[in-house]
Amino acid sequence: MHIQSGARTDLGRVRKNNEDCYAMDPSLQLFVLSDGMGGEAHGEVASALAVQTVLTHCRQSENSRATPIFGESSPDVSERTNRLASAIHLANRKVFETAASNAEQKGMGATLVAVWIEGQRLSLAHVGDSRVYLLRAGSMDQLTADHSLVAEKVRVGILTPQEADASEMQSVLTRAVGTNSTVEVDTDEQALLVGDIVLLCSDGLTRMVTDPEIASTLLTSATAQESADRLVDLANENGGVDNVSVIVLRLDEKSASVFERLKIWKRHSG
Amino acid sequence: MSRLVLKFESSSLKEVPLGTRPVTIGRAPDNDIQIDNLAVSNYHARVYSEAGSLVVEDLNSLNGSFLNDIRVERAMLKDGDAILIGKHEILVDQVHDAALPVDGWRKAPAPRVNETMILDTEERRKLLEMAAAAGERSQLSPKRLRVPTLTVLYGLTDQKEYRMSGKLTVIGHSKMATVRLRGWFTPSVAAQINKHEDGYYLGRGDRVPTLNGVKIQGLTKLKDGDVIDVSGVRLNFLYRD
Repeated sequence: MHIQSGARTDLGRVRKNNEDCYAMDPSLQLFVLSDGMGGEAHGEVASALAVQTVLTHCRQSENSRATPIFGESSPDVSERTNRLASAIHLANRKVFETAASNAEQKGMGATLVAVWIEGQRLSLAHVGDSRVYLLRAGSMDQLTADHSLVAEKVRVGILTPQEADASEMQSVLTRAVGTNSTVEVDTDEQALLVGDIVLLCSDGLTRMVTDPEIASTLLTSATAQESADRLVDLANENGGVDNVSVIVLRLDEKSASVFERLKIWKRHSG
Repeated sequence: MSRLVLKFESSSLKEVPLGTRPVTIGRAPDNDIQIDNLAVSNYHARVYSEAGSLVVEDLNSLNGSFLNDIRVERAMLKDGDAILIGKHEILVDQVHDAALPVDGWRKAPAPRVNETMILDTEERRKLLEMAAAAGERSQLSPKRLRVPTLTVLYGLTDQKEYRMSGKLTVIGHSKMATVRLRGWFTPSVAAQINKHEDGYYLGRGDRVPTLNGVKIQGLTKLKDGDVIDVSGVRLNFLYRD
């Protein structure tokens, strides 16, 4: 299976800073996205540090199996998925310690979603309200459960999804990376199929663009990058009240062409 | 302004004004109307307005909610109605205009809209308690401690029975498959089962599985005793002790 990826992040139309951040490592098939919070420019610091920490930790673990595991491992998921969760635990610690050692940055934090693909298995780990969707055979499912006050209330059964959509409390998170000394990380796994499209996005997309609009955009774009661009444009056309970031992954049948492989090789040897 | 009046026998215990937020009723302390009685579920019922009408909704409580002595799941309310929960009565007063006592009415703090923030630890603790209480309710389910298994009814597989322990159960020829299919031309991922918070969901792979004789449309929640057919294999999904 070959992964075609596309991504974009944008300030939106209202905000002055872009606190979102993403990173992709195509050779490792690792994709990470984060939405920072915490006033002034500190959200940017938090999200960038979180994303970079995940990338570095996963790369290290590829080179050395002795790389320590942070947080508790679960027997319910693969070693790879546990490694991804470990990376988020480490990111949490780094952001928390940075915030603690700098009075101005107190309280900064970030959401984090990360997917890592090995063969046909997709590993997923996340904290916060940034999301991962899977579009398969014409239907789109959200693979992540938002760690937000309204979403948790819907799950407990004291709020309907309609009330949640209308709530003023949508921006209140119940978990974030870096706001506490430890964090609970959710993990999941999927067996991927040819034709699948995976979307990672910040809430700046999902608050502005409905699920059916997202699905039809993903289905009618020629490439992953075109999908990413069109989704960001849609969020901005619909108001763009928040930063918006997306990573789109398309799972194609063909393996990478020689040209693409050269590009990847060049990027990592340079 | 309208209000709800909590009464026990003939005495009024509490008044709660009706606003835009739903009013929750139950035994847990974070309800707007708390009734400390074992006959009352932690989150028993709620009252809210919908399209201009006031509605009472039972939240799957053990002992039920009664509107003017009739058990209801969801019903429209009018002035003078009495909701019976356990031995307590809640009267609907839609024409009362006098000044209202505000104690017991916890107004949600107004957040800066669009500014992402993290819940403070106190609020989070409350929410976790709420979630735990909801979990407590689901513990009543007899299936709680039972292990989900897939039993092979026919077809070529590497085992006759599989306990589903992980979040992802793949049925196919793939190395990561839990249910390994043997034989020629079997797909690497024929179908998959994902564990969610509320149960197990069957999804397609390179084939679309059949559940109890019907092809599935998207993710489908599995029930005890379901029969799955895919790629020439028939599996029985069972919760075992």
